[in-house]
Amino acid sequence: MAKVIVFIEQREGKAKKASFELVAASAAAGNETHAVIIGDSVAAIANEAAQYGANKVHLVQDAGLKLYSAESYARALTTAIKALSPEIVLAAHTPMGKELMPTVSVQVDGSLATDCTSLTFSGGKLQAKRPVYSGKAMVEVEFLGSGIQMATVRPNALGLPKADTTKTADASNISVDLSGLKTKILEVVKGNSARPDVTEAAIVVSGGRSLKSAENFKILEDLADTVGAAVGASRAAVDAGFRPHRDQVGQTGKVVSPTCYIACGISGAIQHLAGMRTSKVIVAINSDPQAPIFQIADYGVVGDLFQVVPALTNEFKKIKE
Amino acid sequence: MTWQTFAFLIVAGSALTISGKRFALLYRLLKAQTGKAPQFKDFGKRFQTALVNVLGQKAVLKDRWIGMAHTAIFWGFLIISIGTVEQFMMTLYSGASFEFIGEGPYSLFIFCQDFFTALVLLGVLFAAYRRFILKPKHLGQSQDANNVLMFTGGLMVSIFMMNAFHVLGSHPSYENAFFISKNLASIFGTFGLSDETAHNLFTAFKWIHMSLVLGFAVYIPGSKHLHIVAAGPNTFLRKLDREKGMTPINFEDETVTQYGVANVSQMSWKDALDLYSCTECGRCQSLCPAWNTEKPLSPKNLIVDIKKNLHHNKEAILAGKTEEVTHIIDDHVTEDVIWACTSCRACEIACPVFIEHTDKIYDIRRNLVMMESRFPTEVQSVFKNMETNGSPWAFSPSERANWADGLNIKTMAEVGSASDLDVLLWVGCAGAYDDRNKSVVKSFVSLLNKASIKFAILGTEETCTGDAARRIGNEYLFQTLAKTNVETLNRYAVKKIVTACPHCFNTLKNEYKDMGGEYEVFHHSQFIAHLISEGKLKPQKEMNETITFHDSCYLGRWNNVYEQPRSVLTSIPKVNLVEMRQNHDQGLCCGAGGGRMWMEEHHGSRINVTRSEQAIETKASTVATSCPFCITMISDGMKTKDMADKIQVKDIAEILDSAT
Repeated sequence: MAKVIVFIEQREGKAKKASFELVAASAAAGNETHAVIIGDSVAAIANEAAQYGANKVHLVQDAGLKLYSAESYARALTTAIKALSPEIVLAAHTPMGKELMPTVSVQVDGSLATDCTSLTFSGGKLQAKRPVYSGKAMVEVEFLGSGIQMATVRPNALGLPKADTTKTADASNISVDLSGLKTKILEVVKGNSARPDVTEAAIVVSGGRSLKSAENFKILEDLADTVGAAVGASRAAVDAGFRPHRDQVGQTGKVVSPTCYIACGISGAIQHLAGMRTSKVIVAINSDPQAPIFQIADYGVVGDLFQVVPALTNEFKKIKE
Repeated sequence: MTWQTFAFLIVAGSALTISGKRFALLYRLLKAQTGKAPQFKDFGKRFQTALVNVLGQKAVLKDRWIGMAHTAIFWGFLIISIGTVEQFMMTLYSGASFEFIGEGPYSLFIFCQDFFTALVLLGVLFAAYRRFILKPKHLGQSQDANNVLMFTGGLMVSIFMMNAFHVLGSHPSYENAFFISKNLASIFGTFGLSDETAHNLFTAFKWIHMSLVLGFAVYIPGSKHLHIVAAGPNTFLRKLDREKGMTPINFEDETVTQYGVANVSQMSWKDALDLYSCTECGRCQSLCPAWNTEKPLSPKNLIVDIKKNLHHNKEAILAGKTEEVTHIIDDHVTEDVIWACTSCRACEIACPVFIEHTDKIYDIRRNLVMMESRFPTEVQSVFKNMETNGSPWAFSPSERANWADGLNIKTMAEVGSASDLDVLLWVGCAGAYDDRNKSVVKSFVSLLNKASIKFAILGTEETCTGDAARRIGNEYLFQTLAKTNVETLNRYAVKKIVTACPHCFNTLKNEYKDMGGEYEVFHHSQFIAHLISEGKLKPQKEMNETITFHDSCYLGRWNNVYEQPRSVLTSIPKVNLVEMRQNHDQGLCCGAGGGRMWMEEHHGSRINVTRSEQAIETKASTVATSCPFCITMISDGMKTKDMADKIQVKDIAEILDSAT
């Protein structure tokens, strides 16, 4: 049993599910699990952290922490770590975690394993597994010495159990001195897409040229919005002007590795496979039973995507209700 | 000394001094280039090619009408120059006439002068008509070109005027030899000029003519017309063989601190000669797939812009201050220009003075990639995949031979030595991993089996040949891959290789030599054609198809293989082979060469769609290809044109296999 801090990542008061995966995993292993939430007016997240199993929730709140910057958040997390003296500190391997944790590990003189896909707690010791060589091999990492053991864990790698919504948090405040920072984030200018980026989403719904028009991507967007997925596209669809280039999945576009990849009307040319082959579960919908995509698909539907996709969307909607 | 001699000495002396200085500057610039020029051997062959292409104008005549006009002007100028020499000598010393050769020969000489002046004038008139009325797109607007036309036209007109007044004023005994000028003289004769007036007018036009000649001599070094001096030597020094591998970099040499070309002074003197030779005819541009699909690259502008860069930096280069020379990438030669090239080599094939455009692009890419890490982001994963997986696609090397499961194909590891085999089948990454191309390789295997050929594959020991890495400019990665392959091939004492991929074919055949691998390499089209001619393959099934063949650049323009793939198709009963409007060495690239397979096409229209449109025009029911990249690109093009269900895109091996 160890004392574990989990950094709860939030933007605009919304916490990342990936952080709660870590809370749940730590709590399930019987650790004394402390959630640290950094931001401005983020107390509302505290209960959520407790519902996934955090024994205690600590809030580091300051107007200067409203917008994320590596420098200010590192100061805040370091302050929390020094105040709580944990054995283990965990964060999600997201762009924020990737930037923050190396900084913090230096500041607290800890050891850090990044991009882990599984964690084992035994006594006060942490062991982590991380993939190397594009997933062709795994290494097991253990931490030497008595420093703080830190790890970032790939989102979706541990899984999220059901929250116990009856719980409420035992929250306390930690104050941080933000004087003397060298940088300040003035404003965050957002791109105009509400849907997640294809490289970050747990589920990606992709369409090919056989959708025939940009408007027809609406049926994929409906499906994507129902299951919280990103919408991707094949090169042919992007070339035809149906989708912007940033949505392109494939050799010359984005390389994605979601939990579930739903390929609609994509034949599966090698240029496309190169960008999504490592997805955990691949679902293919195509009218041509000979399409090469079926060779790597875990589930395939031979049929007209204009019928299959809306039917799928309906079924998912029913499950959600 | 007459006043004429005196004036001529001053005018000609100063003109030739200025001209000489300008030429000397060009020569010093050329000598100051620090890049390594190739070794030149085979002088016999070089004289031959210079004879055929300079005196014979063979390459120029490939564009027939303007080629004929050029030939007329070229030969005209050669002959007329003899007259100009006589004129200059006679101005210096009036007794220096060539009349001593006898009246008959001298009359013939005069006749030739008149005849060729007329010929040149016709040529110039046609050139002007073409430039100002026909306006072919690749020619563009050029004040320089207009000036050259005015000079050449003016020279000829002044000759006729001079000769006409010579006849009128001096009535030379050989006046009948002036068969054109004499008619002109009889027209002027109607004005009733005195002999003396006519003679004065002769003197006036003589001076106009001589001034034009001397003015031209001053003008030429700064003009595209410099080609009259540079193109001859450039033709003599051309790459003699069509097959041409890229020049390897010696990474063992620790004194080399610069890979590729970062500034113009790092090119070789031969590259500079290429720049001097360009006469901006635009033939390269009109055949360039990038230019024809609205990309920023024009091979003509590339050469012209690098030449401008050279002149812009001349002080720094001549002073040896190479660190002050500006970057080769500038406002004109942009990175987009350099990455737009598909290395299809159409420009080099089209160039009548044998400029080698692709070498310059490769050199600039080498610097961008290896020295500055500047390349399209998509390429990053290709390099990484080639490094870690030995294939541009991120597939595991252990899966490389999976396509052959159940086909009973032996690997070299099982066979042991190549001496028991007819040939080694080089599969290539596309054949090994891409479903579409696996089927091509399987068809070829089926043909090999039908012809009872003993063959084996390297299986998982094969790795990417490195062609794309090399063309993109990552020479280091290419050599790593090449040396691995050469080691494997030599370990099994492989002598003969056949492959269905023209890129692998070109690399194995023309480039592995430099890496210690000497093999007899065949493209599958050559191999199949040979099997058919030997009677080992007998296409018997009637096909009733109209087929058009798409030339692969690395098979055609890089290796001169045009007929064998076509003969494979025509060996099949009831195949009607039709040509696209661009075919053989004039063919249009599919758009995937030179590493473009791995890059996005951000500018203009898509090359593969343009090529597919040409195939659709032929009304053929099948497009035959002979390259894994071409088959992918043309298939995609047909999908874009919504013709995928009407026109099949197939490899020649697949087509032949279905007919045997």
